[in-house]
Amino acid sequence: MATTATISISSDIAPGFSGIGESMTLTQAGTLIDIDSTTGFQIRKLSATGAVDLVTMVNELVEPKDSVASKIYIRNIGYKGVIDKSVGVTIGVNAEPIGKLYGGDWLVMPLTCIDADDITANPATDDTVVLEYVMFYEEA
Amino acid sequence: MATTTAAVTLTSDLMSTNMSVSASTTCMKAGTTADGLDQMEYGYVDIASGTAYDIIGNTPTASKASKLYIKNHSTDETYYVSVVLDAQAIGKLYGGDWMFIPADFHDANADIEITATGGTNKICYALFHEGTTLVAS
Repeated sequence: MATTATISISSDIAPGFSGIGESMTLTQAGTLIDIDSTTGFQIRKLSATGAVDLVTMVNELVEPKDSVASKIYIRNIGYKGVIDKSVGVTIGVNAEPIGKLYGGDWLVMPLTCIDADDITANPATDDTVVLEYVMFYEEA
Repeated sequence: MATTTAAVTLTSDLMSTNMSVSASTTCMKAGTTADGLDQMEYGYVDIASGTAYDIIGNTPTASKASKLYIKNHSTDETYYVSVVLDAQAIGKLYGGDWMFIPADFHDANADIEITATGGTNKICYALFHEGTTLVAS
């Protein structure tokens, strides 16, 4: 076993679109060697607008290697079992907005893990919302 | 209502107890619970090394709930594409890697730009959105 991520997308927007189903094994950059480090699975509760660091690269106990094959998963899991599609949290990298995760939405994306490229979360409202996340990376 | 569903399963044995996380979301228009994303763009392109390209030609309406999927179908694990948004490096997709993000397209510079390295990379992408400005002929 290793670290794997599988995506399945179905949609009836376009007639004939048969969907997407793909899997990837998270490996170290340019190799077939399994990725070897993780932040572990974490949650963060947010109750106010304003950007906060979800991951502060320089504070990781194990220094991530820069500009390789790191990945992060983040999901807006709502609060106390209530997932509100109208409540969004903007996820950013180094203050650059990537996009907004509404209730239940998730992302998987690559990261540079450069010290300046912290992962930020900025709720659109003061409603309490919880993000779950895990980062996989190579040790520097 | 058009329905688009995106599901992910993550598994890992890096920790003492194996991790397995599954999540699924129905992709709705921004801030709504009743209306799903209703437009999409789906493509497959070969990207030669060295030049930066915008992966999406027609920029969707800004600050909506667009979702973008990109996979690098290159079979050589040393090939990769660098993904950049508004001059901010996001990360690299090596051969076999995929990403799925909410894409904000918050201003004219916020295109998703990719640059291939190693050789010609084979890239599949799908954008689910709620409107775009088409280019008049």
